[in-house]
Amino acid sequence: MKSNKTFFLLLFIAAYGGAFSQTNSVQFSVSTTFGATHLDLVDSAFTTNDSTHLKITEVKFYLSKMQLLRNGKIVLEEKNGFHLVDARQTNPLIIIVSNKQNIPFDQLKFNLGIDSATNVSGAMGGDLDPTKGMYWTWQSGYINFKLEGTSPICTTRNNEFQFHLGGYQKPNYCLQPLSFPIKNSSKIHLNLDVQKILHYVDLSKTNHIMSPSAEAVLISKIVANAFTVSEK
Amino acid sequence: MKPKLVILSLLCFAIAAFRSVEVDLFNVPKNFPKPFYDFSKNPLSEDKIQLGRALFYDPILSRNNMISCASCHSQFSAFTHVDHALSHGIEDKIGFRNSPALMNLAWQASFMRDGSINHLDMQALAPISNPDEMDENITHVVFKLQASKLYPKLFYKAFGDSVITGEHTLKAISQFLLLLVSSNSKYDSVMRKQSVFTSQENNGYILFKKNCSSCHTEPLFTNDDFRNNGMPVDTTLNDFGRYRVTRNPSDSLKFKVPTLRNIEFSYPYMHDGRFKKLSQVMNHYTNGVEKNKSLAPELRQPIVLSSNEKVDIIAFLLTLTDHSFLFNPDYFYPKELFSETAKD
Repeated sequence: MKSNKTFFLLLFIAAYGGAFSQTNSVQFSVSTTFGATHLDLVDSAFTTNDSTHLKITEVKFYLSKMQLLRNGKIVLEEKNGFHLVDARQTNPLIIIVSNKQNIPFDQLKFNLGIDSATNVSGAMGGDLDPTKGMYWTWQSGYINFKLEGTSPICTTRNNEFQFHLGGYQKPNYCLQPLSFPIKNSSKIHLNLDVQKILHYVDLSKTNHIMSPSAEAVLISKIVANAFTVSEK
Repeated sequence: MKPKLVILSLLCFAIAAFRSVEVDLFNVPKNFPKPFYDFSKNPLSEDKIQLGRALFYDPILSRNNMISCASCHSQFSAFTHVDHALSHGIEDKIGFRNSPALMNLAWQASFMRDGSINHLDMQALAPISNPDEMDENITHVVFKLQASKLYPKLFYKAFGDSVITGEHTLKAISQFLLLLVSSNSKYDSVMRKQSVFTSQENNGYILFKKNCSSCHTEPLFTNDDFRNNGMPVDTTLNDFGRYRVTRNPSDSLKFKVPTLRNIEFSYPYMHDGRFKKLSQVMNHYTNGVEKNKSLAPELRQPIVLSSNEKVDIIAFLLTLTDHSFLFNPDYFYPKELFSETAKD
């Protein structure tokens, strides 16, 4: 995919350009945490130390269309940028948006998930390739967000919970646009706190969402609210 | 300057040649509308089409390497599963619908009897993953293709990259499916004024236009929309069609209006294959329509046809048979690719 090629090219420039690139681009890094603890699922599941005995086995989601704005107007944007964040991957996702003219900005916008138009555009490559496991097969559409694990309070088989959130058609359109005021920094960090999500979801009642629905939209909003932005 | 000019003109020539090739690979029949499929996102090439044809006929797409797309879509029956009300897949498991006939897919906006698939490229994912059909997953299919002797070569020829992806696999399958165009039936030649209907066929055509064509719209013989055609629900299946996708009660019992082209060979009929003969279909529309809330508005007034008129309509429907489609060698099993020498 074109965007991926650009992305890797920019990554290359960033890696070799050192200090030069830092002032001419904006670098986004993404992490997933459980409270303050980094959620590392590379080798094994994550289990909480407390009495909840919560186990997280999968966290996977799409971030798309990064935009930087100034006074409400887009000044920098990533065209066709679709990024899959996977807590099982060793390499953390880094997104670099070129800013050759050092254009100032004061706001960040991006989407959690894949927009409707992209959902109906046929087979695509890179992070959007259906082999990435984020595409439904029984009914067309991308899965925007996956969270899987176990909890003793789930009365399901093996105490499992599974959230596959997606849906590209109204009224169950799950895409979540996010917006954050930011300073004019060249390094921006996005974090998703899974503990924050589960704080608002009663796993004893809601533990399986696998198709587009009003509930999927509701939980997508909860996930969107669990993002925070920090800057360097 | 000069070498640059030469390169530029060569490039222009190459682009022009490429374009003309593409036009030759897919011709829109004169009496057909503009295709729905966006070819610019998946430009046709002979090598991609041949790769797609290989994938269509190769059981490597299934978990046990025994079921191919062609298992339920055979050419002689207009690419449906002949003689089976409900199609059977891996290990003889029975699915819950009759496999649709495949033709003129470039003009279709959604796929499956309930429209659950929104793009031709994504269609193959459903049978590949369905536990009653191929019971595989695209990630493992790509792994198997990559490990094979044959496919890295074919993907390199087609896409200039021997690293196989889900995107390229699906796009190649689409290319073969897009070529399944049926437009050379007797009906078409009559429309092109190259032949004439018999008086019986002509009477059937007039009756068809009066009673059937609001949904089975010419020249594709489908309006590509969903309708409840008044069939009582089969309580052994409880298939509510489009409702399964939209969860909207007004879509209950609605199914995709199928094309009637090549209907002579695509029996049995309806989403669950409940009718074996066209005469049963005729009798359903005159006497069997069950009135309920989501019934197609076109069927609210009863269709009245004498038994002779039914026969005439069937005579007309048989003019939709396209032998050049059913026996087109371009769609045959690619034995030259699958021979042992080709694999080495």
